[in-house]
Amino acid sequence: MIPLSVRFEPRERLSRWINIWVPAAAVLLALVVAGFVLLASGNNPITTYRQIVEAAFTQPGAFTQTLVSTTPLLFTGLAAAIAFRMRVWNIGAEGQLYAGSIAAAGVGLYLQHLPAPVVVIAMMASGAIAGSLWAAIPGALRAYFNTNEILTSLFLNYIADFLMYYLIFDSTSFWRDLTSASARVFPQGKYLPASGNWPALTLSSVVVPLGLVIAVVLAGLLWGTIRGTRYGFEMRVMGDAPRAAKHAGMNIRRKIVSIMLLSGAVAGLGGASQVGDFRHVLDPRGLEQAQFGYTGIVVAALARYNPISAIVAALGIGVLTNAGLALQGPNFPIGLTGTMEGILLFCVLGSEIFARYHIRIHRTVPVAALHTEATPGSDAPGAELAAVGGREQAS
Amino acid sequence: MTDATSEPPSPALAARSVTKRFRGVVANDRVDFEVAAGEVHALLGENGAGKTTLCNVLTGLYRPEEGYVEVAGRPVRMHSPHDAHEAGIFMVHQQFRLVQSLSVAENVVLGWSRRRGTWFAPRKVEHEIAALAEQYRIDVAPRAKIWQLSVGEQQRVEILKAIYRGARILIMDEPTAVLTPQEVDQLVATLRAMAAAGAAVVFISHKLPEVMAVSDRVTVLRAGRTIGTVDTATTSTGALAHMMVGRDVVFEGRAGSHRVDGEVVLQLEDVSATSDMGTPAVVDVGLDVRAGEILGIAGVAGNGQRELAEVIAGERPVTDGTVTIGGKRQHGKPWEAIDSGLGYVPEDRMGVGVAPGLSIADNLRLKSYRRNGRIMHNKKAVADAEEVIRSFDIVARGPRTLARELSGGNLQKLIVARELSSGAKVLVVSSPTRGLDVGATESVRKLLVESASRGVGVVLISEDLDEIFELADRIAVLYRGRVTGIVDRQDADVDRIGLLMAGESAA
Amino acid sequence: MTGVNDNLAISIIVSAILYGTPLLFAGLGELFAERSGILNLGVEGMMLMGAVTAFWVSQKMDGPSWLVLLVAVVAGAAAGVVMSLIHAFVTITLRANQIVSGLTLTIFAGVVGLSSYLGVVANLGAQAGRHRFSDLNVFGLQNTPVLGPILFHESPLVYVSWLFVILSLLYLYRTRPGLYLRAVGESPQAADAMGVNVTRYRYVHTLLGGALAGVGGAMFTLQIATNWINGLTAGAGWIAIALVIFAFWRPELLMLGAYLFGASLGLGYDLQARGITAIPTEFWSALPFLLTIVALVLASVGSVRRRLGAPAALGVPYAREEG
Repeated sequence: MIPLSVRFEPRERLSRWINIWVPAAAVLLALVVAGFVLLASGNNPITTYRQIVEAAFTQPGAFTQTLVSTTPLLFTGLAAAIAFRMRVWNIGAEGQLYAGSIAAAGVGLYLQHLPAPVVVIAMMASGAIAGSLWAAIPGALRAYFNTNEILTSLFLNYIADFLMYYLIFDSTSFWRDLTSASARVFPQGKYLPASGNWPALTLSSVVVPLGLVIAVVLAGLLWGTIRGTRYGFEMRVMGDAPRAAKHAGMNIRRKIVSIMLLSGAVAGLGGASQVGDFRHVLDPRGLEQAQFGYTGIVVAALARYNPISAIVAALGIGVLTNAGLALQGPNFPIGLTGTMEGILLFCVLGSEIFARYHIRIHRTVPVAALHTEATPGSDAPGAELAAVGGREQAS
Repeated sequence: MTDATSEPPSPALAARSVTKRFRGVVANDRVDFEVAAGEVHALLGENGAGKTTLCNVLTGLYRPEEGYVEVAGRPVRMHSPHDAHEAGIFMVHQQFRLVQSLSVAENVVLGWSRRRGTWFAPRKVEHEIAALAEQYRIDVAPRAKIWQLSVGEQQRVEILKAIYRGARILIMDEPTAVLTPQEVDQLVATLRAMAAAGAAVVFISHKLPEVMAVSDRVTVLRAGRTIGTVDTATTSTGALAHMMVGRDVVFEGRAGSHRVDGEVVLQLEDVSATSDMGTPAVVDVGLDVRAGEILGIAGVAGNGQRELAEVIAGERPVTDGTVTIGGKRQHGKPWEAIDSGLGYVPEDRMGVGVAPGLSIADNLRLKSYRRNGRIMHNKKAVADAEEVIRSFDIVARGPRTLARELSGGNLQKLIVARELSSGAKVLVVSSPTRGLDVGATESVRKLLVESASRGVGVVLISEDLDEIFELADRIAVLYRGRVTGIVDRQDADVDRIGLLMAGESAA
Repeated sequence: MTGVNDNLAISIIVSAILYGTPLLFAGLGELFAERSGILNLGVEGMMLMGAVTAFWVSQKMDGPSWLVLLVAVVAGAAAGVVMSLIHAFVTITLRANQIVSGLTLTIFAGVVGLSSYLGVVANLGAQAGRHRFSDLNVFGLQNTPVLGPILFHESPLVYVSWLFVILSLLYLYRTRPGLYLRAVGESPQAADAMGVNVTRYRYVHTLLGGALAGVGGAMFTLQIATNWINGLTAGAGWIAIALVIFAFWRPELLMLGAYLFGASLGLGYDLQARGITAIPTEFWSALPFLLTIVALVLASVGSVRRRLGAPAALGVPYAREEG
């Protein structure tokens, strides 16, 4: 067996193009691997990909549906991206979204007799605030007690989920519809009246929900903030080198709480959009099945935590999700959607190392036995150059 | 009964004509060194003399370009510390490799066990260790967890690890740097016991009083070469100091260096601080620096320089005393120091001084970004960066290049440029030219001199005595956290500074 | 003297053990992975893969029941290993972010992913389970009062889980590999310096985590539910993750916690069945998570952290040059 050592070594030069061709290669690889999976499941990959495009864009009403899928993913994707960028691991977008839905539904019901614009704005505000507060808990725990925010935000997702279920299925709460006969048998929430319906733009047969418009604007604002404000500058420094941030005099604790509040607000706004744009009711089952929060993290990772890229990434996953729903059938069970999403993301994740490192394969010279009578000066330069071992060897 | 033809026994460990180079720098230049079994041998020299490099060669971490290592008279080729361990050579570094949450016994046995079975019986191991500890006068409880132990006790665990694995040769790197006087006595007892049992003990030091008290022989290195080996009994601190630093001083220092009468821009009064491990690092330090002067702080690394710089920058709290920058009393906050006019070029360039993933333009405003309101004017920053790149002659593709792509020298120039451009009154620089090539070193030193002539008070913390002599107006020497003396450049001579650095107090 | 109260207490304990055992398996697996420094958030996905694979084998394979069940469990474990191998490769060798990778695994293998797909492809949803683990009657003592139903009348999987807890304790604290594992999770640099192969330990224990998660999942389709419903673990994987932290990474506390959480889950249903609706079921479901958050905060407070804290290197990729 030829003794080989395969190692990752830092690249000498980092060209601008690396950030383009590495992810592109990853996506290509994903398409190929997913293609094999499709083959194995009895589908023709090329036709399937074509069908996905059709189901997402070209068929009547398709693009509108795609936008419906994209909207919540953009919210949660942005929420995750801004936090993760600063190495604050907010896994709680799911729960923050639920909190936003609860708040927006409650406010929408409570204020239903007021004029529509007021109701809509109130729903947005309450959704954002609720999401913020839900995120403030893990944020404060991390900033002041150094408690791992991954776990606290994760568990709060569950608690928010149970809260939603309680409100609709297990109590006679304000959110619950107690009037109609069917509602008494099959628990469901009260539907919001028209004042709580968020307006939408219709552009040549494509319906653009208000939530999406807000999310895109938000993406732009966030991008601008990160690039052009003091706040964003501090975010970038803290995310890159916390010690340098300290050296520069930044207040890390306050920033952590602040970013969690912002992240939670965005996710909560997504929850409000779910109520206002699409469901018009607090729908625990639907929200839980959709898993927008967790998928948002996937979106953020694909977008490499850049808000503008998140628009594209959210659209991409929205396309897959929508196509998965549309194509669902004996040939294309719902399980293929997650499988292909997973393949895509694993490929992208696995490719990131190649942006900074490349592979070096060396032939290793077997370690000489100890106490060999090596005469001084007999270390032939040739043998030394080919061998790798000892930590200082320059390459 | 000596046979007429018998030779003296071969040394337990020897380096024969070892040469080691790094990127053009010769760290060890045909170094010869031997240690005999049963002796305690000190390796003495100032910073950069090549002591650590030599020991890394002796323990298999580095392989020499020329020369070879002998164990008990036979040449060996070692490719890793593992090989060295097989040969019985063990080194205790300044930074311990211990797992904090495990016990002493568990750490000693980690990775290697005498029994070589799957089972690990804590009680048995603890007994074995207790017996060894007894034999070598090491006072440590085998069941204690590492995080419960003092630094001195942790060091003993490291020694135990070596003994447990059958060390014949023990090398210790600046072992007393972190010990209290009582712990030093215990360490000495242990080393003596090991020597008495036939092991060879080497310890690296720059502290003359200790070297005189503990060792049987001393080898002095300077600038990568062996200067000589003497029996401790027949030498003196003066002779050793001379061997350590003595050279013909050619440079006369800065033209026009004289006592400056500018205002005091930095003042430390009775400042004390502790290190990360809780030991005293800075002890009752009093200093002032005036506008326009360069105060050099000399001393071997590890005597509190890092902590002193951090204290001034507000990154480390003081346990006593006050720091005043630009007339403003400081309260241990980095941004306060920056706002009061402090510029600081830290030892760790990448990752502390600079954010590696951010561009040059961004890094240039790392400290001044607060001054222009909430909006960051990116275009202006890029233009300013171009200007800086040009005037400081930094080699980079452009202002948007990421900091991590810069070479050491250019990175340093960037940091210095940044600190200077922000209108600092005091500039603290730590080891500014370490690892830089000749050209970069030249440029950086020129920058420091220019800034002083423009009225900045410069504190130059450096392990390079030549550099201090070339640039400083006054020289303070740090030893074990205290200022052992402050001398004007024109009154300073190398031997005297060397003595101060090695522990003699100002005469 | 068995009265209504005795029945309630015993039935709580029995259901605690029943619901708790999958948590115990998956939790032990995650405990080992985390002890080596790898956080694997994909437990839910791995459990689902174990569940569907085990069910599929038990439906397809012919033979004596005990053999089929055995092979099914092994198949479930194997499925878990394959899933965890993806995570291990991406995070250990390719040094990707462990959180994102774990979540990806959940999506890939979970309720809209591979496990769902396999369930549909093999048409498992429509089938009634052919084999099921039945409770053993150990030493014939199943009818002794109080202890009988609890100790002597459990499924073989429960007894296996008890064995694993004991083995885990022995492994961690009385063997050399277990010692090295603890070192790797606390300080990979120190372990590496002492010659321990950090990469190998991380791989092995992450894969072990996958295997045990697979077994935990298998228990759902081979004992608790005996049919396949898409996503039937219903969050058990996440609870297992919480469990590991709640137990401060110690197997004996893990067992306690698994039964506690199992009881919490079971209690909700039990109380509802008896018409006690004052406290909603969701509260009992949420309780494990609330308790864990409290435990987390306590553990983070300085001095306590040292004694009871997470493996210090959890979640951080290890690369020798930078380490």
